[in-house]
Amino acid sequence: MDHTADARWDFTAIGTAWQIQTVLPLPGGIRDAVLRLVDDFDRDWSRFRSDSLVTMLGRDGGTAAAPPDADVMLSAFAKLSHATDGAVNPLVGEALARRGYDPGYGFVDAGASPAPADWRSLLTWDAQRLALSAPATIDVGALGKGRLVDRVLDEIAPWVEGRIVVDASGDLAVRGGPERVGLEHPYDPRRAIGVWEVTDAALCASATNRRAWGDGLHHVLDARTGHPVRTIAATWALAPDAMTADATATALFFDGGPALAHAWGVSWVRMTTDGRLEWSPNCKAELFS
Amino acid sequence: MIRTTAVPRPLRVGAAAASVLGIAVLAGCAGTATTTEDAGSGTSSTDQSVDTTDEGTSSGAATYTDGSYTAEGSYATPESVETISVTVTLADDVITAVEVTGNPTKRESEQYQSQFIGGIQDAVVGQDIDEISVSRVAGSSLTSGGFNEAIEAIKAEAAA
Repeated sequence: MDHTADARWDFTAIGTAWQIQTVLPLPGGIRDAVLRLVDDFDRDWSRFRSDSLVTMLGRDGGTAAAPPDADVMLSAFAKLSHATDGAVNPLVGEALARRGYDPGYGFVDAGASPAPADWRSLLTWDAQRLALSAPATIDVGALGKGRLVDRVLDEIAPWVEGRIVVDASGDLAVRGGPERVGLEHPYDPRRAIGVWEVTDAALCASATNRRAWGDGLHHVLDARTGHPVRTIAATWALAPDAMTADATATALFFDGGPALAHAWGVSWVRMTTDGRLEWSPNCKAELFS
Repeated sequence: MIRTTAVPRPLRVGAAAASVLGIAVLAGCAGTATTTEDAGSGTSSTDQSVDTTDEGTSSGAATYTDGSYTAEGSYATPESVETISVTVTLADDVITAVEVTGNPTKRESEQYQSQFIGGIQDAVVGQDIDEISVSRVAGSSLTSGGFNEAIEAIKAEAAA
């Protein structure tokens, strides 16, 4: 089916470009609801905002009312952290900021520092409360965008007939029909290394090429050391929901990723920095050879 | 997969530019025993490359000088000291080819990983996005706002 006539709505949120594609244009009321949703999410979780919940909580520690996504995201983080032997850690924000990825976009490297290994004892949560027992910087980048894609799709879906694509630039979810997605070559955005058809599922990609700055620094750090990952250049994961796909795409930068993907039933492709491709059992992606 | 934190000696011209474009991400990684070409093996890579670091053909609006940039590095494994060489080709501020050569030792966790991996292809092949009939592309996140402005500032310093 040709979807070139579909309506597209572009906007910018949480520091990246979004596009929502629907058969008919989205009514203004739904757009407003989506913008409110992403703004609320940003105000809860952005470590780049001085007025966000995580910034205020992180300054001195303390307890706050749990935002709607706290339990589902942090519970997934617990599994991610376990599967990657601590390489993924939601308190990696300070380690990222010290390497230069800070709220002022200073990009001045102050060296490698590990995230607190005992994050499970510092950061606690339940359905009502989110608490930090010491100052620390929460960073949900490992899966937060995927979660927001799911939230946006859920916001739209009840009001829209036909196919929907929510594309947050790297993380996308498709409902109601197929979408052929090119897998961008991490070293050459004019090329793709394969094609993956996505139907009623989410495809999330992560690569180290764009959010990168001085001397080999980029946004995927090993939380145990504070050093950027160097063996994997890009990952892609296909799952029923975008948060699971996003989390898996992050885990695939580390040794425990394939095992976690297996446990979650997620299929994936990844490319090493020396130009090799690996993929999961039962992977349906078409990879060029 | 060989883990290392050693980074090849940064290039004078290439250092900041390389980092911004993600080249230096390659640096610590050892290649397979053979030369690996990725983007260059596709359909339309006709970009001219030169062998020197500081010289090259400068094209119009490009921020960086076209050409090939090579860095060598070494790192220690439990068994030995390995050396690798990374060559990156730039054309119009886009990386068109990456070569990693070296003599790496065996992968760290081969045994552990194999049961969860369905297949491996030794060299990635890139095809022109305009020729593969896709409606969208999934890669790293596009960046916006402050990030881009800050990166532009770094690029300006690199080009100065």
